[in-house]
Amino acid sequence: MTQTMSIDIKKELRKGKINRGIRSTIRHLILLVLAAVWLVPIVWLVATSFSGYRGINFTTFFPESYTLDNYTNVLFHPDSVAQFPQWFVNTLVVAIFNCIISTCFVLMVAYAFSCCRFKSRRLLQNLSVTVNLFPGVLAMIAVYFVLRYLDLTNSYAGLIMVYAGSSGLGYLICKGFFDTVPASLREAAKLDGASEARIFLQVVIPMSRPILVYTIINSFMMPWTDFVMAKMILNSGVSSDWTVAIGLYNMLSRTLVNNYFALFCAGGVLVSIPISVLFVIMQKFYVEGITSGADKG
Amino acid sequence: MAEMVLQQPLRADGKEPNFLQKFGYGFVHGDIFTKLSFLIWGLGYIGHGQLIKAILVTLVQGLGLYYLGVAGIPNLMKFGTLGTVQMEMVFNPVTFKNEVNDYDNSFAILLLSIIAMVVIVAMLAAAMAVVASNYHLQMIRKAGGKTNSFAQDVRVYLNEKFYITLLTLPVLGVVVFTIVPLFILIAVAFTNYDQQHMPPNSLFTWVGLANFFTLFGGGQSLSLTFGYAFGKVLVWTLVWAFFATFTNFFGGVFLAMFINDKKTKFPKLWRTLFVITIAVPQFVTLLLVRNFFGDNGIFNTMMSQIGVTDLLHNIGLLSPNMDYIPFLTSNGWAQVMIILINIWVGVPYQMLIATGVLMNIPGDMLEAARIDGANPVQMFFRIKLPYLLSVQGPSLVTDFVKNINNFNVIYLLTQDVYVTADQAMASSSAKEVDLLVTWLFRLTQEQYNYKMAAVIGIMVFIICAVFTVVCFRFINKKEATFS
Repeated sequence: MTQTMSIDIKKELRKGKINRGIRSTIRHLILLVLAAVWLVPIVWLVATSFSGYRGINFTTFFPESYTLDNYTNVLFHPDSVAQFPQWFVNTLVVAIFNCIISTCFVLMVAYAFSCCRFKSRRLLQNLSVTVNLFPGVLAMIAVYFVLRYLDLTNSYAGLIMVYAGSSGLGYLICKGFFDTVPASLREAAKLDGASEARIFLQVVIPMSRPILVYTIINSFMMPWTDFVMAKMILNSGVSSDWTVAIGLYNMLSRTLVNNYFALFCAGGVLVSIPISVLFVIMQKFYVEGITSGADKG
Repeated sequence: MAEMVLQQPLRADGKEPNFLQKFGYGFVHGDIFTKLSFLIWGLGYIGHGQLIKAILVTLVQGLGLYYLGVAGIPNLMKFGTLGTVQMEMVFNPVTFKNEVNDYDNSFAILLLSIIAMVVIVAMLAAAMAVVASNYHLQMIRKAGGKTNSFAQDVRVYLNEKFYITLLTLPVLGVVVFTIVPLFILIAVAFTNYDQQHMPPNSLFTWVGLANFFTLFGGGQSLSLTFGYAFGKVLVWTLVWAFFATFTNFFGGVFLAMFINDKKTKFPKLWRTLFVITIAVPQFVTLLLVRNFFGDNGIFNTMMSQIGVTDLLHNIGLLSPNMDYIPFLTSNGWAQVMIILINIWVGVPYQMLIATGVLMNIPGDMLEAARIDGANPVQMFFRIKLPYLLSVQGPSLVTDFVKNINNFNVIYLLTQDVYVTADQAMASSSAKEVDLLVTWLFRLTQEQYNYKMAAVIGIMVFIICAVFTVVCFRFINKKEATFS
């Protein structure tokens, strides 16, 4: 009796184990398929960037021959269409300036709204939310007119102004983070005689490293990933003036795509490398920033 | 008597006096310096012993007046007509050459007038603040106190008034690069600024609400197609925003739960695989995917090799004379593909966020539910989803608004690829896959139809604003009932 019981139990257990094994396999198979779907374009990008054929390969997913030529061409043999090194420098300059100005603006606004108490605080915050509701493209078209009137189109100064000028509006995530810095710390510093400016620079900012990194990387990446504004403002058609994004976009225009698609892929991979590195650093802060901001509602 | 006069204005309700009351009281009861400071800002500060401040504020005032004198007022005078003198070549008897006359540039008039209005409002407010502050100084001196030295004033701006130091530049940036341009575009919506009226060669002028009538299908011949296109584009914009927001949200949540489940091995590895796709800039992946799904693209080749194209022919989803699947080039297919590609683009982001939020769910809450015998489905609908919605509710609303304005995905996937077959749409530069924002962008780039672009922009704003206000009302009410 007891023996049959235990055999039954063992059978049941084994069945459960097998069931669990099957379920686990299915679960991981689903994940594998999903991951494959998500990675197909990336694999295609990387594979094509090594392709021996310069146009789009219509017949096979993987290129027929492999070469490093696309990378050497894109890096060391710029032609009238593809001037990747020049674009890279242009974008880097814009990115550095944008990074400095935007980061300062965002931190300043976030601190003022989070830690300072003043009468027009609510009003200004509501205004900023309202302004944010206007479509960015619309504001961009208007800014373009103004810049054209000031003769600042086709200049990096104009582009930097457009990127950084209104960056103060993007303070929300940073403010959410500052809100979590205990007020008692600031109070203590104040009792010790620190000015509001010193509290900002020496107490709150050092404590907010995650959001600092997030803000810096975010503003640094903007010119690398933005396409619309750059296209609108740097519209001279002179290839050497462009940023990476417009340059790569241009390579895919109908007349060029058959000669430059592989080069586009190589360029795309090259931009993605620094951005992925920055993104991996930022990833942790990204979630922290969003959730700490969202918790406040 | 003097002491009686020199006191703060009092309000009947006992609240602190507001800005206007402070100014009025100061202006009426102040001494001659305080009164004069309304006209020349520095005078009051000189009278109250603050020389450096006096010089600085007078300098600022001088700059403002200089602008108004040189550019502001002359253009404001023409604001009513936006210019009357058309650009012409005139024979100059002195140089014996044809020269451009002294023409009016409507856009410059509009721009400089709006800047002038902003400057006037700002200067008026500043003058009032100067009077109030001078009255304050006067009170201090009457009471026998000493007014701040310049160094002390600077210290105040690093301390109690630090927020002013912090906010000045960013606010200035927003005013110059967002608010003034928006004012200009709102103004353009009431003018006839288009290809036939392009400064500097020709003038444009005010037309009242005519453009709004055009958009809603009343008025001249062209407006019929505009009303038609607006309806179609608006519907697709809303459908798109709805699907884009919710597919991404739920996709992200399910993926996060799937990966974070205890039964999944190597969760970090899986997460990284999905996150790789974010690391490549969007314009690269979108342009790539667009070629991937091109009419002669690699995906079409693969589809016909494994027989899917033939299958679609057989079941009638594809007309027989097409030997490819028009993923991004035909009405219907393109919309579905755009939403699917957007899932590909957006789900990894949402997965990251949802992972963070789900980890914050108090463990004892889930434990208690499990002990009470809740199954996973119940746990999801009764605990996890309400929690996610309460944390992410506001960001869902902003996501929806962002999707209404999601320029990148639509523009990069369809520009130069999708051609509309609808003549009525084409005549107003619209396509079936356009969002309102891509449509207005194309209107400015292809037709130079700035007036209609501005009108559409205002409509987008109204839609977004109404939606946001209603949603936040609802969210706030709900939160109030729960807590």
